Amino acid sequence: MAQRDLSRCLLRAIAPISRTPRPIFASPVARCLSTTTPRPAELLEEPQERFKAAEPFDFAKEDGPRSGGGGKRLLRTLRIVPASPSYFSAKPTFTDDFVRLSALLRTVATLPMVAPIDAPKVAWKTIDQYRIMTNEPVRTQRFHKMMHIVRRLNCIHPSLMPEEVLQAMQRFKKDSQPGDIVPNPGVIDELGRAKGVGRRKTSSAVAWVVEGEGEVLVNGKSLTQFFGRLHDRESAVWALKATQRLDKYNVFALTQGGGVTGQAEALTLAVAKALLVHEPALKPALRRAGCVTRDMRKVERKKAGHVKARKMPTWVKR
Amino acid sequence: MSSSTCIRRFSRLSLDRTAHPPIASRSLLATPQTSCFSTTAAQHASAQGKKGMAAAPKRGARTLNIKKNKKDAAVAKKPAPGERKAARKRIVLSNNNALEVETLTDMDKSTALANKHEGQVKGIPDAVVDALRAVEAFKRSQGWSMFRRPATLIRKETTQLAELMSQAEGGEEGKPKTVRRILTGERLNGKSTLLLQGLTMAFLRQWVVINIPDAMDIVNAHTEYAPLPGSQPTQYSQETYTATLLSQIAKANDKVLSSLTVTAAPNIPVPFPAKGSLKQLAEAGVANPEASWSVFVALWNELTQPGRPPIMFALDNLAHIMRNSDYLSADVKPIHAHDLTLISHFVTYLSGSKLLPNGGVVLASTSKSNTPTVSALDFSLEVAEAKQYSPNNMPQWNPYKKADQRVIDCLKDIKVLKIAGLSKNEARSIIEYYAASGMLRAKVDDGFVTEKWSLAGMGNIGELERASVRLRL
Repeated sequence: MAQRDLSRCLLRAIAPISRTPRPIFASPVARCLSTTTPRPAELLEEPQERFKAAEPFDFAKEDGPRSGGGGKRLLRTLRIVPASPSYFSAKPTFTDDFVRLSALLRTVATLPMVAPIDAPKVAWKTIDQYRIMTNEPVRTQRFHKMMHIVRRLNCIHPSLMPEEVLQAMQRFKKDSQPGDIVPNPGVIDELGRAKGVGRRKTSSAVAWVVEGEGEVLVNGKSLTQFFGRLHDRESAVWALKATQRLDKYNVFALTQGGGVTGQAEALTLAVAKALLVHEPALKPALRRAGCVTRDMRKVERKKAGHVKARKMPTWVKR
Repeated sequence: MSSSTCIRRFSRLSLDRTAHPPIASRSLLATPQTSCFSTTAAQHASAQGKKGMAAAPKRGARTLNIKKNKKDAAVAKKPAPGERKAARKRIVLSNNNALEVETLTDMDKSTALANKHEGQVKGIPDAVVDALRAVEAFKRSQGWSMFRRPATLIRKETTQLAELMSQAEGGEEGKPKTVRRILTGERLNGKSTLLLQGLTMAFLRQWVVINIPDAMDIVNAHTEYAPLPGSQPTQYSQETYTATLLSQIAKANDKVLSSLTVTAAPNIPVPFPAKGSLKQLAEAGVANPEASWSVFVALWNELTQPGRPPIMFALDNLAHIMRNSDYLSADVKPIHAHDLTLISHFVTYLSGSKLLPNGGVVLASTSKSNTPTVSALDFSLEVAEAKQYSPNNMPQWNPYKKADQRVIDCLKDIKVLKIAGLSKNEARSIIEYYAASGMLRAKVDDGFVTEKWSLAGMGNIGELERASVRLRL
């Protein structure tokens, strides 16, 4: 009898580890259990796990239908083992996670690994995000210990990665991963034009690139008419010049807003993007030439009490 | 007071009068006049007065008088009058540091108008360089000073102009024609250089060349002017400018004019020998500026006699003569540029109301820098371009703009010679010339040529030179 009870309790203890994903209890009042101070609204937008403490033992049921002792008999004979190993802590989610990951690591420890640098790139949740998700004041050091295990799991050779590990890691990944958002591939239209859009400072430019012999029109004018400085002309067609494609394509572009330099550098980006539609393999070369990344710098706003963005008024003694 | 004193005073007065030389009539105001009632000589009085009259410094104003500095001011030598301007206007046509281009050959008389040299760089013979210098055809902004000696690229438009010139000479039929053209094109596209090439070909073919180097100089009121007697409506002649032009004509066309003699006694107010040469005629105008306009007219009459060589009549920066000049008439109204005799003469031939009987070319070039906006001229050129290149798409006059009817009338049926960018082959040829001159140190291959061609706005030759020779990094 006692043996059977013990095994049942053990089963219960293991239950949360074997069951993945975690059971979700549909309880609208989950937040009532929180002992932490309310957080600002924007932080609460993070999805928070619903949490409920372990279910109470139903002693009447354990006693069996015949007995009428109200569970007192069982209570006397049983040594109760809680379902979660962290039953006696205030909130067990973190400890559960940690124990589960450690157990998982023991099972997959012998699988071959890749060097950390070759492991798939993953954006992990930050400690703040994890705290909000679990609604638990997790200590930084402990969190990092846990993330160490997660990263170790991520280093398992991708071809041998077990499904359960993938599922376990899913809990610690950010919602959007780098490379999740793939832009629509550009198309060359029926007239052979590829379009690219670029921006810099407050200028924006649209460029259409077609196969040709190096003719460039910006807002209907030639490059020399539109850009007085040689430097700006070179900037505008830098994507083509840096890849030795200046004699292979024609460009016609529209640009507006901002000043001369901004328009020229917006054109750099626009032409590069349009060129990438024609020849996607040029991306590394263009990145090296500095034509792929949008330069996000803009004029810093002026602040109250300052003369400019940061300049303070002259100090006067009285 | 005794009478002797009075006499002495009077005698002194008379001495003073004799001390002054009789004053020239025009400079009445230049020297101080003596008052008859003063007994001191005016010069002495004024000299003394000035010394004492130096106003005392204002109270509180500090006067700094450091004698050491005065010496230093004398050490720094000021340039002589006119020296700075001469340095500013100096035209350098050679660069001893540039390499001699071995393959460079000169243009010559027989092949000047042939089209077989298209796309090649050709040198300008020394004699023609002197003549071109005399007519001020070289500009400072052009890059002559970077190469060993003047040479130009024979581009497509040059052969077109050469073709026109051979038509003007009479061509195969032998009937001389008057060709009138206006050179248009973008900034730095080589309009003035094409004009210079036209002058070069004319000199080589031994035409008579009359060149007005910059129309701005005629109309900016920097030279004297006077109403032409007996003209109705009043025209204004510019003696000094005309005399300068005559001297340029005489110097540049030395050989041709010396070989021609006058057919009839010219109607000029200066003595002229019978059977004198046309060069002597032009020089008579230089020596007597007040007769220069009548000399110019007489010279022109002689040049339009049958059997004389064709004439190249050229003008740069056309827009300046298509509006009011900076001169004022007697009733303080601006004088229209077409009322100046020289310009009206040019415009008569440009508009085609008179023709050159011995054939020739009337060539005007627009300019895109230092030029006024003349809407009537712009519109006339647009119309002329549309007539030639896209007859279905004629421009409309904007009725809200002010039209200068004289301009529209004189450009009614003009034709333009539009200068576009260089072709890639021409660009390659000129870049190779730069490289051969040692002014461009790069491997000239297709990629390089195309890159420069594109960056120069599809073959704008001025920008090409800038990008490859001037702005070397």
